[in-house]
Amino acid sequence: MSERVKSGIYGLDELIGGGFRKNTVNIIHGGIGVGKTTFCFQYALFGLNRGEKVVFISFEMTTEQIIRDCNELGLCEIEEHIESGNLKIIHIYGEDLAFPPISLVDILKENTPDNDHCRIIVDPLTHYSMFLDDEKRKSLSTIFQSLRDVGTSIVTLEESNQNDAINNGSLMPLYLSDTVLHLDNLGFGELFNRTLRVAKHRGSKHGEGLYPYNIESGLGIVILASEHDINKVTPTSEFDEQFIAAIKQLGNIDIVGEKLAKRIEKLRNDWNHSESPEYILDLVTRNEK
Amino acid sequence: MIRRKFEHTLDDLYETEGVDACIIYRIDGIPITVRTPRDSAILEVMFWLEKQIKHVLRNMDKEGLKATTFDFKNHQILLTPSSRSTVLVTIINPQAHQQLISIEIARAKSIIHNCVS
Repeated sequence: MSERVKSGIYGLDELIGGGFRKNTVNIIHGGIGVGKTTFCFQYALFGLNRGEKVVFISFEMTTEQIIRDCNELGLCEIEEHIESGNLKIIHIYGEDLAFPPISLVDILKENTPDNDHCRIIVDPLTHYSMFLDDEKRKSLSTIFQSLRDVGTSIVTLEESNQNDAINNGSLMPLYLSDTVLHLDNLGFGELFNRTLRVAKHRGSKHGEGLYPYNIESGLGIVILASEHDINKVTPTSEFDEQFIAAIKQLGNIDIVGEKLAKRIEKLRNDWNHSESPEYILDLVTRNEK
Repeated sequence: MIRRKFEHTLDDLYETEGVDACIIYRIDGIPITVRTPRDSAILEVMFWLEKQIKHVLRNMDKEGLKATTFDFKNHQILLTPSSRSTVLVTIINPQAHQQLISIEIARAKSIIHNCVS
């Protein structure tokens, strides 16, 4: 399994296979007031408190606003990390990206450590999409690749209410990213009004449910996944005997069988269903013959 | 924990004789918790429900209805709003004991209401 970077969100890592994959771009997508920036603070502080470096590119809030909001949430250690130099906050006005254009790739190169993995936050990317014309939006894939080169990123993105979201480019980042976590708030103040859904998590098994969360003082986002939810994403060894028998049988066939046996081994390691794999193993064996 | 109580309530309802499936939907039609067998007929009903739930709830609210029933060929679907933002959907078979099930639904609705509100 690929190396994981813990999210710092209480209750999330169990649902996404242990955390974000290292050197990936992960989008937090949602409407206003769902906790996207709080998510960023938690992600940053989890790393900072363990000696990691963080670069926070803010298109919205100044350093003073970030400090004030963190203090009000009870995440008071943020100032220490700015003073120590482990946290760099870069505040850019959205319009500065267009008149004259500032390159996000250059900003990243100037502010990230050369050989050290770092946590990067872009909050929110919405401004970037808004101020760029169609041609420049295509440069998003270059930006995302640069983000992957320097570390593991969290990028927040405002949910678009426009009907032509596909044409106006606001969906582009969702296609390009490695993970999309969708945060939602219905606004009735009930359980399941604030919810998180893992819309995409490339190369990983992940929970497929709707998980309620709260934003708690001193902690930030806390996901209230049930035992049932967690069991659904936790691999089980209950059917190991059936898997082993199938792997042995396939391994003895021919070169294709050997390759398939390796895949079945992977299936065995990730099997998280309460049902027996008998039907699937039988189907695969018959099809691959 | 609230979530456990919530899940157990649904498990209990699902185990009631005659209940084929029970699902808690959010009022925007997104399923929150699902207890269903692997049955394509139930899956078809779920697809139908996801499209209809918003409209049905809007009309129920307009008409002041506490519950609504839909009769399909092999299933009866009972929609019972369980809080301001959730609705309990119970899919039962025609042979089910209606009175027993209505008592179980009322019990589940009350627990769900207390859990989510």
